[in-house]
Amino acid sequence: MSPALLATGATEAQQQKSPAPKAASSGEGKITAVNPKGTPPPIQLIPMAPRLDTLNGKTVYLVDTGFHGSDVLLHQIEAWFGRNMPSVTVVFRRKAGPYMEDDPNLWKEIKAKGNAAIMAVGH
Amino acid sequence: MGIPSAPLVTKAFKDLAILNAAKRGMPHERICFTPHPVWGKTPEEVRAYVEGPDPVSGKPLMKEIVDALTVPLSDEDKKGGVVTVSTGPATFTDTADNLQEFYLNNGYTDFLPIILPTEEKVDAMLKGTSHKPDETVGKMAAGAYPPWSYNVRQVAASAVMAGCRPEYFPIVLAIASSGMASLFSSTNSFAFAMVINGPIRDKLEFNYGIGALGPFAQPNATIGRAWTILSKNLGNGGIPGDTYLGSLGNNLNYNNVVIAEHEDASPWAPFHVQRGFKKEDNVVSLFRGLGVVPGQVARGSSANENVQFDYQMSDLFSTFTGFFGALIIADPLVAARLKEQGYDTKEKLIDWLYKNTTQTVKDYKSRNYAYLFDYPRALRGDEPWASWYKMPDDAVIPHFPRASDFNIVVAGGQTNAYPQAGNLSYGVSVSIDKWT
Repeated sequence: MSPALLATGATEAQQQKSPAPKAASSGEGKITAVNPKGTPPPIQLIPMAPRLDTLNGKTVYLVDTGFHGSDVLLHQIEAWFGRNMPSVTVVFRRKAGPYMEDDPNLWKEIKAKGNAAIMAVGH
Repeated sequence: MGIPSAPLVTKAFKDLAILNAAKRGMPHERICFTPHPVWGKTPEEVRAYVEGPDPVSGKPLMKEIVDALTVPLSDEDKKGGVVTVSTGPATFTDTADNLQEFYLNNGYTDFLPIILPTEEKVDAMLKGTSHKPDETVGKMAAGAYPPWSYNVRQVAASAVMAGCRPEYFPIVLAIASSGMASLFSSTNSFAFAMVINGPIRDKLEFNYGIGALGPFAQPNATIGRAWTILSKNLGNGGIPGDTYLGSLGNNLNYNNVVIAEHEDASPWAPFHVQRGFKKEDNVVSLFRGLGVVPGQVARGSSANENVQFDYQMSDLFSTFTGFFGALIIADPLVAARLKEQGYDTKEKLIDWLYKNTTQTVKDYKSRNYAYLFDYPRALRGDEPWASWYKMPDDAVIPHFPRASDFNIVVAGGQTNAYPQAGNLSYGVSVSIDKWT
């Protein structure tokens, strides 16, 4: 489902690749079958955080999720900032624990000391 | 966090990243993409990624990242509130052929023909339990998304589709109530297994003799299949690129590894009794991991020598990852021989295996899962990984972190003394009787 569809309250049923049979009267030779799908939870929309006017003079955290190569990629991004936007302070952090575990202490640190974050990499 | 952020994902996971953000409440999250893969690339190659275009938008990647953090939000970006998601009408009406095609084309099946869950067949399935059709059974998340919920009637539809008889339904409900899906969104192509214990094995005529793990009995075949079909329908699993990412996939996902323990031929306590149930209880226990391999390939399995099954198993486990456990499936002939060797309880064998299945620190560190899961734990100070990572390369450490990572069940027809073993971790045991 596209995010736009989700945002407008569309249904999972709109993902169906072939049209749904009519859920109506059962005529000759027709039978009625139960929809086997479970019940998705409602989605609580989260307003995005306000953006910065500029990154110049700001502190940007680079967060390594621990996937293979994330550190190499983020260090190249760190180097890019050094070459192209030297007024940006870059802080590299490896998230604690395996990639699927939360790290609330790091989020607290970034919120207190940083202005923005770049997280990599989704594999 | 309350500050602007830019997630960076490789192109292969575009759909997953976008849909995951949307289903977690940020349909307009500014996700940036690099070429795939990043893994294994040199710094020079990755620098080219950074200085090149985002392969999804075509715009320079670093401009995408800077824009993600600085371009003002639109009204849509600031939107709050709740979006209700539906999966369509409660029933569908058409000819049998058209419905079969519709269920297949829309991912409701495992792409094998199904028994259509007509209202009559679902009602018949519901007679297999005393629980009310609208009673909530549980929640399941087969992908990276928040879990879906489901009731007894919704579980019944998947049980019908898989070919289950109504008398099998309490087992399917017990599995569904666990919330454990048999399809998972990892790139690893995971496999799943279940162990059935108790008198219900004979009452339903499970096969635990010759070909115990094969397609030779209806309950073994259909209950295993039902786990995968319900994981798709109730947990929203098995959508390639969205809720399923296994690069190669796993053939075991068709009906999973179903093991009815051969309790009468086993010299040891049944698995469910080890887990605190009574022998007369009916219990299903669920496992997850990477798959099952035959014991005949291991050192120590030569028929011309005095076969040492303990050594054979220890050798077999050398290729396993310690991230998952080891599930030994012993033919009764293997179990009898092990008892003759002095292992008169499963616990004694497990103790020997834990102490004698070892590896060097160098070999351990070279394993993918050690880097991905254990090394981050070591950095955090979690034991035993923190200590293992401080040891010299030639130090010898256990292959599995805990003795409890080993589990043993007995099944098979005694046509030969062959064990099998799964790189599978124990998940949970659920009472079947509760769902009768």
